[in-house]
Amino acid sequence: MALKNIEKQLNILDYALSSLWRRRAKSFSILLVFAAIIFLLASFQMVTQSLSDKAKQVLAYTPEITLQKMSAGRQEAIPLAYREQLAGIFGIRRVVPRIWGYYFDEVRLANYTVMGMELENMPEGARLDASLANGKMPGPEARGWVFVGHSIKEALNLDERYTFSLFRPDLTLKAFTVSGEFSRDTDILTNDLIVMNLADARDLYGIPAGLVTDFCVYVANPKEIDTIAKKISTALPSVRVLTRPQIQKTYQVVFGWRSGFGSICLLAALAAFVILAWDKASGLSPEERREIAILKVLGWETSDILATRFWESLIVSGLACILGMTAAYIHVVYFAASLFRPVLMGWSVLRPDLHLLPRMAAGDILLILAFTVIPYLAATVIPAWRSATVPADSALGG
Amino acid sequence: MLIELSGVSKIYNQGRANEVRALTNIDLVVEQGSMVCLKGPSGSGKSTLLAIIGCIFPPTSGRAAIADRQLARLPDRFLTLHRRETIGFIFQRFNVLPELTVLDNITLPLLPLGVPPKERKERAQQLMARFGISHRAEFPAGQISGGELQRVAIARALINNQPIILADEPTAHLDTVLSWEFMEIMQQLQAAGKTIVIASHDPLVFEHPAVERTVTIKDGRLHAS
Repeated sequence: MALKNIEKQLNILDYALSSLWRRRAKSFSILLVFAAIIFLLASFQMVTQSLSDKAKQVLAYTPEITLQKMSAGRQEAIPLAYREQLAGIFGIRRVVPRIWGYYFDEVRLANYTVMGMELENMPEGARLDASLANGKMPGPEARGWVFVGHSIKEALNLDERYTFSLFRPDLTLKAFTVSGEFSRDTDILTNDLIVMNLADARDLYGIPAGLVTDFCVYVANPKEIDTIAKKISTALPSVRVLTRPQIQKTYQVVFGWRSGFGSICLLAALAAFVILAWDKASGLSPEERREIAILKVLGWETSDILATRFWESLIVSGLACILGMTAAYIHVVYFAASLFRPVLMGWSVLRPDLHLLPRMAAGDILLILAFTVIPYLAATVIPAWRSATVPADSALGG
Repeated sequence: MLIELSGVSKIYNQGRANEVRALTNIDLVVEQGSMVCLKGPSGSGKSTLLAIIGCIFPPTSGRAAIADRQLARLPDRFLTLHRRETIGFIFQRFNVLPELTVLDNITLPLLPLGVPPKERKERAQQLMARFGISHRAEFPAGQISGGELQRVAIARALINNQPIILADEPTAHLDTVLSWEFMEIMQQLQAAGKTIVIASHDPLVFEHPAVERTVTIKDGRLHAS
């Protein structure tokens, strides 16, 4: 009996395939539109996932706690003298002052991120050497050196030369020599970054001695980050304390918000498609009515006709899913999600040339299936009930 | 007897404003192996009567027994199952699916029965050989001649070896030669033991020597002739 049922389903599947082939123009156009929607949704899902993963991986280099001075709700320079007060807090391993800002290149109309640090004072495990693709960190006394991100190298044409100049606030030029380039793996954060000696950054921005923009605080026990952050807040009430988990969370929220915004737009498109499919499935052409009536007179049950519709929809949505997801993977991996870069990459003019590798877990695939195949099946099979109840006698004459 | 109708009436949309009384108090007995013609103008109720005999729907009232099974209280699903086993249909214009091949059209009734492809093909090949259409097996049904089409329809009605053949205006769109050929095949089937009921107002059908009895339907009532 079970074997007979399997054979019956195989026969109906066979008929569904031939039915799709008979209406190949219609089937193919539905398949293409559906695959395009799945492609967009899956691309969004994959690119968000990869960016979040990448950000998480790169944020491992960020300090465990960052301190900024706030005044009237805005950030201002923080006195180096605060370092002494921080030294008394138990659990802090190292405090590294930093000057961090943007540099607008009027010629190229691009913003560069500039970071000046006492790199030699950074603790093991947090040093930037590991993220360098080539070059090495100069000694503490060396001046005028920089590490640059990939896009800076491209923008400033640093393939053939190693020196370039940036303007100080008084419009005098300050020269730099490239000592190394960041690895492409860290593009998402280092693409538009220029790292230099703290003294050089102070000179470039004209920041007075004794002031920096923030402090990077490294703790002895990473499990104690929150506790130490609280101690700092108590000791220095005018200082904003940002922990690494908070920054990671902010990145997640930013990517999540952007992805959510995009997903809502795409889900609206999907909803429109599902409504169209519903509308199409509920209305029957005279040929379709005739075919159903003939099948019923020939002994097909309503459930057999519903099963045919189910298989047809499953084949279309399954194929659309495979096509859409494969195209999305290719789009994300080989074309660096070029369609969504403006939405996901933010305002930077020097956008990273990303190399994303999506990690598609079973949960992500199920999520896409749940948002695409299931609504499509529901939108086509449920109204098909109405079509499957076409009276068999309509195949007979008057 | 294979078909027995007693006091059968059929009312469409009963109790509504658009109520239509299609059949009134029909009594009809068709013996096994006989050929009966239902004669009458369009709208007289021939197709409704054929639909009741064909287990497409039960009568509104009266008693209908087909192959020893009472239809009146059978749920829709059982009517379908009963129809699969008992009735082979031949439609007006033959109602084949034009994009399907001849072979696929003939085997359509076997798909929901779970008959494997090999067996389906064997059964269809036997029937195609019998009716001389084997060479058309892989042709789309929409591309074959009217005479071949009628044989496809007959082969489809016989594929599950049902004992009753019902034909609804089978010669309405055929010329005299093909109509005559159709009746010849029906005669052969009758000789092979099939019970045949044909609804038609074509004299070539109801005056055919193989037709044992013609009953006339007019305004939903039966007049024996």
